[in-house]
This record gives sequence, C-alpha cells and structure tokens, in this order.
Amino acid sequence: MTATAVAAKARRIPNPRSKEARLLLMVGLLTLGAYVLASLGRTASVPVDLMPFLVFTLGTLAVAHLVIRRLAPRASPVLLPVAAALNGLGYVFIARLDTDRAAAQATWTAIGIAAFAGTLIVVREARLLDRYRWTLALVGLGLLLLPLVPGIGYAVNGARLWVALGPLSFQPGELAKIALAAFFASYLVEKRDLLARSTRRLGPVSLPEPRAAAPILLAWGVSILVMTAQKDLGSSLLFFALFVLMLWVATERGAWLALGATLFFAGAYAAWSLFEHVQSRVRIWLDPWPVADGEGYQIVQSSYALGTGGLTGTGISLGSPQQIPAAETDFIFAAIGEELGLLGTTAILAAFLVLIGAGLGIARRAQHPLDKLLAAGLTSIVGVQTFIILGGVTRLVPLTGITLPFVSYGGSSLVANYILLALLIRISNDNGRQAAALEAQK
Amino acid sequence: MNRQIRTLGIAMLVLFVALFAQLNYLQVIRADELANHPGNNRVAVRDFSRPRGEIRTADGVVIARSVPVDTPFKRLREYPEGPLFAHITGFFSFTFGSDGIERTYGAELAGRSGDVRIRQLGNVLADEPQGAHVTLSVSKAVQEAAAGSLGSRRGAVVALDPRTGAVLALQSFPTYDPNPLSAHDQKAVRAAWEGLTNAEAKPMLPRTYRERYAPGSTFKVVTAAAAIERAGELAVKDYPVLRTLDLPQTDQDLPNFGGGSCGGMLPNLLRVSCNTGFAQMGLDVGAENLAAEARDFGFGSVPPIDLPAAARSLFPEAEAFDRDVPALAKSAIGQQDVTATPLQMALVAAGVANGGVVMEPQVMAEIRDPQGRLVRSADYASWQRAMSAENAALLRDMMVGVVASGSGTRAAVPGVTVAGKTGTAQTTGDNAHAWMIAFAPAEAPTVAVAVVVESQDGLTEATGGRVAAPIAQAVLSAALSQSQP
Repeated sequence: MTATAVAAKARRIPNPRSKEARLLLMVGLLTLGAYVLASLGRTASVPVDLMPFLVFTLGTLAVAHLVIRRLAPRASPVLLPVAAALNGLGYVFIARLDTDRAAAQATWTAIGIAAFAGTLIVVREARLLDRYRWTLALVGLGLLLLPLVPGIGYAVNGARLWVALGPLSFQPGELAKIALAAFFASYLVEKRDLLARSTRRLGPVSLPEPRAAAPILLAWGVSILVMTAQKDLGSSLLFFALFVLMLWVATERGAWLALGATLFFAGAYAAWSLFEHVQSRVRIWLDPWPVADGEGYQIVQSSYALGTGGLTGTGISLGSPQQIPAAETDFIFAAIGEELGLLGTTAILAAFLVLIGAGLGIARRAQHPLDKLLAAGLTSIVGVQTFIILGGVTRLVPLTGITLPFVSYGGSSLVANYILLALLIRISNDNGRQAAALEAQK
Repeated sequence: MNRQIRTLGIAMLVLFVALFAQLNYLQVIRADELANHPGNNRVAVRDFSRPRGEIRTADGVVIARSVPVDTPFKRLREYPEGPLFAHITGFFSFTFGSDGIERTYGAELAGRSGDVRIRQLGNVLADEPQGAHVTLSVSKAVQEAAAGSLGSRRGAVVALDPRTGAVLALQSFPTYDPNPLSAHDQKAVRAAWEGLTNAEAKPMLPRTYRERYAPGSTFKVVTAAAAIERAGELAVKDYPVLRTLDLPQTDQDLPNFGGGSCGGMLPNLLRVSCNTGFAQMGLDVGAENLAAEARDFGFGSVPPIDLPAAARSLFPEAEAFDRDVPALAKSAIGQQDVTATPLQMALVAAGVANGGVVMEPQVMAEIRDPQGRLVRSADYASWQRAMSAENAALLRDMMVGVVASGSGTRAAVPGVTVAGKTGTAQTTGDNAHAWMIAFAPAEAPTVAVAVVVESQDGLTEATGGRVAAPIAQAVLSAALSQSQP
C-alpha cells in the first residue's frame, strides 16, 4: 500500500476530534442556556456574570479538548461531551441552589479538568498500571481507611468519610475506588484462569477452588468493615458490586455472580439485623409517609419535588428544591426533576446510558485483557453508582447516600470522576490506535 | 469476556429502564397527587413568595402589605399597624399558615383566584401575576376608638352597620403583633408562635367571633322580642314587683342583682333590667317560643361572616327545658346554658335596629386588581328575619329607654338617640362579664355595637352600665362621626 493510499484511507475515517469539538460546542451552548434560564427564573434578568461564565465554560471545555487532541487523538468523541453536559447542568443547579457552593464547584471543575489532563499525561498506556499493582492496592486500601485515622478523619451526617488536612477536606474513598478498580483489573487478569477453574460440585452448582475464593471473601470482609466503621452503605455496596462484576467478567464464570449475590444478601441481612440505621433505611423505603416529618422527610420531599415537576417541570429557579435536604449533593436529581420535569430526568438517564454504553463499547473493543477489564470496571463504577443514588432518590431501592457522578456538588467526587473519564479515554485511544494500525496493515 | 460485557450492558439497560419506569410513576401517574399532597408546601412557597395584595381599611389605611426582601421568599408580609388589626387581618406565616382576612381572601391576595387571574391574562407574559388588593369596611377611626376605650381590659368590641352587615370594628384584647409570625426566619417564627399560643391570656383568640360568653341581661332583648313577636299579651302584662322569684320544681329562688326589687310592664322591666320579671316572662313565653326566637336571631348557626372558624352561639333546644323548668327562667335572663359571641350580640342589636332583619356580617368591602379595576364588591344580604318591622320598632323604643333613663345611661351620645341594653353575666364568685349592646341613631340606625369586658368586680346590674356602656358610647360616637362627616 502506498503512502497516498494510507492517507486516503485515513481521510475516509472521520476525525473523532472534530466531532468532539462540535459536540462540546453544543454542550457549551446548552449549559449557557440553562444558566441564563436559571437567572431569568430567579431575577427576570440575564445573569450579570454571563461573560465570565461563558469564558470559563468554553475555556475548560477547550482545554480538555486540546489535551485529548494532543494526548489521545483517536479516543471516542462521546465521553467528554456527555460528562461535560452532566457537569454543566449540575453546576447550573448547584448555582441555583447555593451560590457559595457554586464557586467551589467551579474551582473543583477546574481542578477536575487539571486532574483529567494530568492522568492523560502520566498514564500513557493503561496497561502500564500493571507494574504498580500492589502500590495501587495499598494506596486504595489506605485511602479507603484514611477517614478512620483519628485526628484527620471525621464524620458528616454520621458517615465517617472525610479527611481534613489543613484547610483542605476531601473524601479519599472517591479516589480509592479507582485505584482499587485498577488493582482488581491487574490482579484478576493474572489469576483469571485459576479463579475460573471449578474443582467441586454441589448438585448443579460447580464451586470454584476454595483457595481461589479467598480474594472475594477478603473484598466482602473489607466492604463490611467499611460499612460498619464508616457507616457508609453506598460506598461499601459500590465497592462490593465492582469487585464481583469484575471477577465475573474476568473469569467468565456465572458462579461468581451467584456467590457474590449470596454474600451480598447475607451481608445485607446481617447489617439489617445488627444496625438500627440500616433497618430505618429499609423502613423508610417501604413506607416513608408515616414519618414524613421525621426520618422520612428527605425521601418524601424528593417525591414531592419529582411529582411537582411532572412532565415538564416548573422551570429552572421556579421550583422549591431547596426544601430537599442535600439537594445539591445526593438529591440533585430530585431538584432537576422538580424544575425540568420528566423531560429533564429522562435526559439525564439518557446521558448516563450513553456514557455507560460508550464505556462498555471501549471495553469490548479493547484488545488487551487488562484494558478490557479496567474499562468494564470503571464503567461499572459509573453505572452502579448512578443506579444506587437514582434508585434511592426515586425510592426504587432503599436509599444509600452517594453522589451522582459529574452532577452532584462535591470536589472529591468530581476530581475522581474526571480521572476515571481520563482512563477510559486513554483505553479508547489505544483501541483507536490499534484499529488504525490494523486498518493500515490491510 | 465480551459476552459478559454485553450481558453487563443489558443489565445496566434493564436497571435504567426500571429507573425510567419509576420516574414515570412519580412524575406522570402520581404527579398530581404528589404536587397537591397536604404535606407538600411547594404551592405555599409559591404563594408565599408571590407579590401579595394589600389589605386596606375603609378610610384608606394600609394594614397589610408585602415588601421586597432579599431572602428565598423574596417578599415579606408587613402589618404597619402592628396589633391594632391583628384579629381582622390575621397573619401570613409560612409555617403556621394564615388566619383572618389573609386566610379568607388568600387566593385573591395571592392573585390565584379565577376572577383575578382572568383579568391578568393579558399581563401573564409580561409579569408574574399580581395579587389583588382587599379593602375592608372596617375603618381605622372606629377601630381605634374601640381599642382605645377597651384599653388593656380583656374583652371584645364589635361594631357593624345594621343596614348592610358591614363590619366597622372588631377589637379583641389581648391582641398580638402579626409581624413576627409572618417573618422568614422560621425558628424565630416558631418561638413567637409558641410564646403566643402558650400565653394564659390567649392573645391570638379573636374574642369577637370565636369566644362565647354568657350574654347576661343583654339576652333580655331576645326574650323581649320573643314575648312581643310570639305572645303579644305578655308585652302588656304587669309583672309583680319582687325581690326574688320562686322557681318551680325546686326550692331555689332567683334574686335580682344587688337584692333590689322590681316589676311592672315590659318597657320598665327592660329599662331597669329586671331579673325576676324577665325570668317569669321566659316561663310565660315558653321554651318553644324562646328557643325559636333565639334561633331567628342566629343562635345555633355559624354567622356567615367572611372570617375563618367563627363560633356558633348557643341556646338549648326547647326539649331540654322539659325536665328543668328553672333552667328556662335562667336562660331567659342570659344565664345558665346560653352563650353568645360578641358578634352574635351585635347582630341581635343590629337585627332590632334594622327593622327585625339580621344582615350577613361582612368585613370585605371590595377587591380591586393592581390596575384598580373592581374584581368583586361586598354582596350584602339578609341572614335572618327575627321580628316584624313594627315589633322591632316597639322593642327599639324600649331600648331607647334603657339609655335615656335606665341602666345604660352612660352609652348616651349627646345629640343622638341611642338604644341599648346592658348586661352583667356572673362568672365565678363576685366577678362578672360586663356587657353592652346598642345602636344609633335610634330613628335610622347606622351603627350597632356589642361590648364585653371580662371578669369585672361587682355583681350588680350596674356593672354592665358602668364598665361596658362608656366603651359602646365611644365606638358609637366614632362611627357616627364617620358616617356624618
């Protein structure tokens, strides 16, 4: 094949970056429109800081875009625009609910984009994370347990998830889940054959080698520990689900899912019988109305907000979502549902589905098992976390507090999710590069 | 691993479809129910932050208005006159709802009622809906006269125009300041609310229309009306001069207050407020007639006033007296089982004043949209017919005697003929509620009043005339100088 033929072939493949740029422009306009509407709803005037807002929004999007253009030019063009749309809409609602927090969220967005760029710069190939397997495990566990260290760790609303270092406070658990996902991917890819072998049968169920089951039991134990020590049901559930899903994908053995589900229900039952706060969560889930002014207040307010929003919502700034406790963080979805209605909530669901679809598509296309497993794991984090909080807010499942990725207020969560996004983009770029190489060989 | 990843994708899709279904359940199927759930105060927040119309007195004083503030509620409800009109305007609280005019005309004030909104349709796109302004028939001059003359004695004053039922004053003491209840800091609001509701004096109770008292001798007007209207011969019967009346079925005696003796025909019995004479008259008239007459003045029904939760005044059913004849004698002089709100007693005076027709009491005079266009004006209507016009004139003349030379001389207004009736209702021991009902000018009445002052010393018929009559006098004077400027 001649050089001109290669060039012609390359020209026929549309450049994903120009598609991304167009999408990002649309996201910028969408965010800007929502921001202007929020201001019109509140004060019947165009926001005074329209220009700074415009510059900041387009500026951060441009930086992220240029970083990808430079460091991961063949990556999927969908990931960043979808994440940016969620981040932008979330920001508009945070600004509408709490101006002080909006300023902090803008700062965290900038830090998140910096972390995104930093991840793409440092991690030149996702497979290289394999070398730091045990470091990642130690860092992950360390971060997870950091809030338990006396002196620096502290609790908010009963959940001990926070670490304060000087003026800076953050939730290390958010970063831990990424480090642990990377460790799991690297560990499981190596041990998958051992873990897939079944040595015993119990009726129709073939059981895996007992010794190989040790890691899953360990993960279960750690998640139970986190749950009891930090009172953080959401994180421990996410952590456990992540491990079971990755184990299942790696080994291709459904038995692990069955074992995971069994352990989950055993753990859930144990937690339910041991802890009053778990029982109360279940009680509120089943029927919050008798305690609408007490422990059921938040979920009832959330239902009111969603019901009041109806099909089209009240309009941004025209509802009363500030009545829902934690409306900027865990319950931001209910605030969006009140003011943008079913149309808005459906758009959010669709955005997450696109993100999950893109992430799993990257996993499917990845050539190397480690890339595959890591992409599947990272996507599972987004999907499971989103389902946990949205299911909780809509009372589909018992409420376990956790942030809605990219949308909720919260620095640690935003930074962690941008790092996660950068890793997916890195793997996606590797896929694109290999595809192009294959194409070129033909 | 691709098969698992695909399965994972399908599983995620299923979870999100479940979320979508649940969202449809909440935001479409149950949307109306949730939006209008009693526990959902979002409608209240919207109303609370909406520009709300003013409440004004008949003489043009703004007694409730909304001013823009920098809180999430956007507008603060203010009551520039403080406690003076509290029992009329009520309050407008986010946590505790509203009362008074704020409650009755809440939809109009918020611009939410149909007739206000239709007029606003043209402005919908330009502005948010504006609330309508409510003007009352209450005037500040009369209200101040009532408040000033009652002073810091517990009690109530009601003044109304007998021709229409338009309320001119409603004073209840103790009163309260509605401003702290309508504030935005809900913690402070709660504290203010608890202070007011726990206070022994019940400052938030509108004694004018939600509290019942034994009406004492003012009820003799009803007994007299029953005799004139239903047993004409009794109006000319000469009742013996007695110190005490021997009650049937019991060894109990019913004495005159202060141990005096009295008797004679109806005009004189009314003039000196003769207990023995009226007790006997009650027995003569009979339970049936007395109960019917009380009913015709409005006892047993909630007065159709445009203020929330007005109380019924009570007179027992006729059958209740079958086995207890002494109770009938006592009820005829406004004791025992008879209780009345000051509003009801004002309506009794107004009924006599208005040729026997009791008008529906009404506080609102008119409602105008922000552009000044009339939305609604008071629809004055008759409520009860208590007596014939001729009989009402007879009774009126007797009541003139009470003020001219009887127990109610202190209610006299120079240059005007005043008709009235005093009352003293025994409460505990030597304490009594002092009462006065009156109207003027007797020839063509434009104002009727009822006054009650709680728990005054001295258990004589003079108590009502001494304590309550001067208040009636002050309110009548103020109202008369309003209507004839």
